[in-house]
Amino acid sequence: MTTVRIYVTYKQSVFDPQAESVLNAIHQLGHEEVKDLTVGKFFDLQVEGDQAAVENTVKEVAESLLVNFNIETYKFEVLEAK
Amino acid sequence: MKIAVIQFPGSNCDIDLYSALHDVCNADVEYVSHKATSLDGFDAVMLPGGFSYGDYLRAGAIARFANVMPAVIKLANEGKPVFGTCNGFQILTEAGLLPGALKKNDSQKFVCETVPLEVVNNNTLFTTQYQAHERIALPIAHGEGSYYADEKILDELEANHQVVFRYASENPNGSLRNIAGIVNKRGNVLGMMPHPERAVEALLGSTDGLRLFKSLLENGTVKTEA
Repeated sequence: MTTVRIYVTYKQSVFDPQAESVLNAIHQLGHEEVKDLTVGKFFDLQVEGDQAAVENTVKEVAESLLVNFNIETYKFEVLEAK
Repeated sequence: MKIAVIQFPGSNCDIDLYSALHDVCNADVEYVSHKATSLDGFDAVMLPGGFSYGDYLRAGAIARFANVMPAVIKLANEGKPVFGTCNGFQILTEAGLLPGALKKNDSQKFVCETVPLEVVNNNTLFTTQYQAHERIALPIAHGEGSYYADEKILDELEANHQVVFRYASENPNGSLRNIAGIVNKRGNVLGMMPHPERAVEALLGSTDGLRLFKSLLENGTVKTEA
C-alpha cells in the first residue's frame, strides 16, 4: 500500500482572494517579512498496486476530479510505501 | 415543450424554477431526480441553484458525477436547451458543457442582492424577448460566482457573442470582463449566476427574469427541430 499526498492550489496566474486575506492577517500580526503565501488543499490517498500503477491512479484521480485545470494545478508526493 | 428540473442533494432553487415555469408560464415541467439515467421525452433541462453535495471539493464538482449527468450531456449534444443558474452554472462548467470556471468571490463574501445587468446578446434561445443591450435587474446570491477563463477563451467568448449577460454596474464578485452569463458555441446551453426564476412576479420585486423563460418557451422547440 502506498500513501500519496496530492496538493491542489490555484495557478500562479489566478488571483486567490483567500490567500490575499490570510496574507493581510499575517501582516496585521506584525510579520511584514512574509512576502507571499499560497493556500491550497491536500488529499492523502492510500492506493494499492506497484509504483507505476499508483502513479497512474493518482494522475487519473487528480486530473479528472480533484483539479479544475481552468484555475488550479497540482503536484503529489509519496509519503509512505509499504 | 417538456422541461426537466433536476434535483440534486443540496439543490435549493429547484422549487423556484419549477414555480416560475409551471405557475407563472404554464409550462409543462417535471422534477427529475439526480438518480435518473434518462431524460427521454424531455425537450429541455434546467439545473437549479443551491449547494449540491454541500459544495464539497469545488461548487458543482461532485454533481458532475451524478447519474443523471450523462443524460444532460446527451441532451445538450442533441442541441436541446440546457439552462443552469447559480449552482447550475457551476455544474455546467464543471461538466465541460460551458468553458471556464467559477471561483470564490474576490471579496470572500457571500453576496445576496439585486444587481443591474446588461443583456449583451439578445439573439439566443433564452433572450429574444429582451432588447439588445437592455438593462435589467436580477437577484444574485452566491459565494463562488467569480467567472474565470484564460484570455484566449475570453476572447473567443466575445468573438462568438457567447457573453449573454454582464454586470452593468459594480462587479459583485470579481468575474473577468464582468461576465454574469454565457452560452456555449452552439447557443443551446446557457449558464448564469443571477437568478431569473426569482424575478418573475411583481410580488417578488422584479419581473425581469420572466422574459428569459418566455423566450425559451417560444423558441426552444422551434429552433431545435431545425
